[in-house]
Amino acid sequence: MAEITAVSALRAALAAEDAAIYGYGVAGAHLGGSRQAAAQQDWEGHNKARDTLTAMIYALGAQPVAAEAFYSLPFPVHDKTSAMALAAYLEDGVTRAYLGIVAVSDQRLRDFGALAMQSSAERAAYWRGSTEAFPGLDP
Amino acid sequence: MPDIAPRRRILLASAATLPLLLATAGCRSSDAFTGPDPLAGRPRPAPDVITLAAVIGAEEDLIGLYRTALAHDAAPTAPARDLLALLAQHEQHLARLRARLIQPPGTATATASPRPAAKASTAAPNPVTIARLQAAERASAASLVRRLATVEPALAQLFASIAASDATHVTALGG
Repeated sequence: MAEITAVSALRAALAAEDAAIYGYGVAGAHLGGSRQAAAQQDWEGHNKARDTLTAMIYALGAQPVAAEAFYSLPFPVHDKTSAMALAAYLEDGVTRAYLGIVAVSDQRLRDFGALAMQSSAERAAYWRGSTEAFPGLDP
Repeated sequence: MPDIAPRRRILLASAATLPLLLATAGCRSSDAFTGPDPLAGRPRPAPDVITLAAVIGAEEDLIGLYRTALAHDAAPTAPARDLLALLAQHEQHLARLRARLIQPPGTATATASPRPAAKASTAAPNPVTIARLQAAERASAASLVRRLATVEPALAQLFASIAASDATHVTALGG
């Protein structure tokens, strides 16, 4: 297996964060009350994470890849249930991306990736309503 | 004895040509005999193996804690089915960790089966409360992250995934 470089892993995480930012915008429109507030909070968290990752990529002397203008949704989102499923799906994608950072050789990046995926796994568990044995990995 | 003489000649010829063959292969004759010394005892396990064995032991302790909590109904604030679900995930962690550990038979650095709940009870006479389970989950997640530096990438990813699962357990337990 080819070694995963820090820049490619960070770029993958940035792409996942960009997708989450877009997706939470869609999901939030179908939620209300405390769930909408949670979606808003998570959307803000993903924006901060995007800024952090962008700065990390620049610090490594590389260029971040810009977000897409539009993302295809994995399934139609038209109500609260599908909106929550979308949020869980987005968080799963973010968790997988941060798991890629754990595979790089830099110890600080490994820690960063591991802690970030704990947060996304917790958010995924909230939206899914259950925990998983192996967040980010194939079951 | 027409058969024996040719064989003897082959053996003698082989002995005579061995240094030449080794020389053409860029080897010293002593290299042909290097390898594990059978009298040196069992080789030390690799660092990954030691780390993995320690993580397996910690996972077994966590499972023991859950079993004690369930056996003594010591955590009445959480429905048993919730604890059973979390316990099942820890058993999945243990199975996958053990699948990564390949050791010669008889090696004592990892146990072959979960430690019984009674051991956890002996080690911890206080009731297993939800707060204690949360603390154990939190400590497990932190410990796994601390171990990331010393293991190869695929094992680091497994540790990180289990740590993330443990973190979700803290929240599931109400933390």
